[in-house]
Amino acid sequence: MLIFSVFKTLTDQTVTVELKNDLCITGVLKSVDQFLNIRLDNIKVSDEGRHPHMMAVKNCFIRGSVVRYVQLPADHVDTQLLEDATRREAQNQIKQR
Amino acid sequence: MLPLSLLNAAQNKPMLVELKNGETFNGHLVNCDNFMNITLREVYQTSAEGDKFWKLKECYIRGSTIKYLRVPDPLLDAVKDEQARAREANKFRGGHAGGAARGGRGGPQRGGRGGARGAPLRGGRGGRGRGM
Amino acid sequence: MSSLQGYVDRRVFLVLQDGRSIVGTLAGYDQKSNVVLSNSTERVYSSDEGVEEIPLGLYLVKGDMICLIGEVDEEADQALDLTTIRAEPLPPIRY
Repeated sequence: MLIFSVFKTLTDQTVTVELKNDLCITGVLKSVDQFLNIRLDNIKVSDEGRHPHMMAVKNCFIRGSVVRYVQLPADHVDTQLLEDATRREAQNQIKQR
Repeated sequence: MLPLSLLNAAQNKPMLVELKNGETFNGHLVNCDNFMNITLREVYQTSAEGDKFWKLKECYIRGSTIKYLRVPDPLLDAVKDEQARAREANKFRGGHAGGAARGGRGGPQRGGRGGARGAPLRGGRGGRGRGM
Repeated sequence: MSSLQGYVDRRVFLVLQDGRSIVGTLAGYDQKSNVVLSNSTERVYSSDEGVEEIPLGLYLVKGDMICLIGEVDEEADQALDLTTIRAEPLPPIRY
């Protein structure tokens, strides 16, 4: 759930998504849902010479389950805040048990 | 349009089913359920390599093993027409029930279940039982 | 899933987990990202021939199998000469 929130704060930022089929797609993050499915606008596939399949595709929906990595813009992620939130969530989970 | 509405409307229609392991099944849809578990009759099964064939009188396929289904083209318009009719019928009923908000939101959904989707669904469960 | 909203009735490009590419009109979808494609064709890429288009018709693809769904810019797509495109098919997914 935390990571979902992190992604939500990154909407309208440019991210690069690496898929499990080795495709690398850079685009503007438009939305994300609880499965971490991702909507990207204005996409660009890395190494388009090798992967010309998506030349006519300008925006796309990526299924969360096939995402290997997402490269985030470092200056838009408050890692200190994220660390604190992670600890807080971990604490809450212990309390719930 | 929901994928499951299309599948429900495909009962007794011919279809091609490919499984995740590459095997394909050609047959007529007997029944289906919300998990996309299906039963087919008069089935031609083909191995993933396409070199072996089997003829089955009836078979049951677990929904989670399916890659995709190919159904006859005219089915799309049939389902769209059916849904348009259901919506019309519901607008009428919704008007009598009063409450615009309820008629707008709950109405069509209730109609969808009661009409086009409800009946085949009930059949679907029967089919699953028989299949297993 | 709000993310596929807006693609309905548009031409879309589907990448499947087994590496296949399918172009079709998105007729519908559900929570699990199962999708219905009408007038769909498979685009078979190869490194020594142009893209082969195989008509598939009305297709229901299970959500589990889907990697990516892209909205096709029809103008840009029509401008493409598929017969001149040489490319390896997309690889199937590896974990």
